[in-house]
Amino acid sequence: MKAFDDLKSQWKEQVLPEPPNKGAHVVIQKVRFLQKKQGITNVVLLTTMAILICFFFYINAYKFIIVSLGLLLMIGALILRVMIEYFSIKKLKQLDVTKDAQSFITDITSYYRSRIRTHYIATPIIILGYGIGFYLLLPSFKQSLSQGFYTYIVTSAVVILFVLGFFIFNEIRKELRILKEISTYDSEY
Amino acid sequence: MITKQKQFEDIYNSNYSIVFRLCQGYTKGDASMSKDLAQEVFVKVWENLGSFRNESSISTWIYRITVNTCLLELRRNKSVPLDRHLSQLEHNESKVIDDKEHQLTQLHECISKLKTENKSIILLELEGLPQKEIADIMGLSHETIRVRIHRIKNELAKCIKL
Repeated sequence: MKAFDDLKSQWKEQVLPEPPNKGAHVVIQKVRFLQKKQGITNVVLLTTMAILICFFFYINAYKFIIVSLGLLLMIGALILRVMIEYFSIKKLKQLDVTKDAQSFITDITSYYRSRIRTHYIATPIIILGYGIGFYLLLPSFKQSLSQGFYTYIVTSAVVILFVLGFFIFNEIRKELRILKEISTYDSEY
Repeated sequence: MITKQKQFEDIYNSNYSIVFRLCQGYTKGDASMSKDLAQEVFVKVWENLGSFRNESSISTWIYRITVNTCLLELRRNKSVPLDRHLSQLEHNESKVIDDKEHQLTQLHECISKLKTENKSIILLELEGLPQKEIADIMGLSHETIRVRIHRIKNELAKCIKL
């Protein structure tokens, strides 16, 4: 295998960049920034939930059963979706990269399988819950809003549903591809 | 007593170039992507430094993180810039490039054609790691690694047509 030894020496002779000046410091700063960003995200999520709940009581929605149900379904669906994504991202960040490659692949596979389950089971239920909630609120909207604004709300809801559907579909396709590739990796052993 | 930050700086400065080179093996030699990947590797090193228990050497530990991070990030982003790389190759070929550089580009090209785990194995072999250490990083038996390396070498030789 003299030829391979030649390749090996060429590989080692590659011109490599020196470690960037203060590179280690930049890495530490990046980690701190990401932690701070995560903290801000948590605050934003909690504030949004608090505002939605306050709004529910502010408009005395609990006095009207249908409006209550509609709002609860919409708020509940949003909160559920946000929580699922939050814990999913947390789980991804907690994957132990210091394990050997085989064990790591098993962990990633399990992570992406749980993502696919979320997409196929939880996501349709959430979208359905949100849609039903919105539908239940329509009579109240029609009663209290002008015809123009009502039409705007209905139209924009349909457009948002399609745009959201497109993004979710793309995300599912991407994660299915990743899972397929990882499964290929598994079966190569 | 050495602080975590000082320890990290030492690890960073003595391993950056090797990590960068390994990342280049996953990105077909793309310097910009390799730089981003190397930074991501060191983010993980910093985050996990507290859990390093000296059960393996620090370099084995860093190699594990590099292999796993490259695997995860490249799958998530799926952005190995094949087109960009090919156009760069065409551009280079219009100039006179020396044999060594050409062979190295060819080597990157051939490595990129390997299956993912074979890519990791051969990159570690090219780095000159003992097979036992490669087995430890990959989570496979020493014997499996030995056989696999033999096969990959043949595969590479055919691809490069040495």
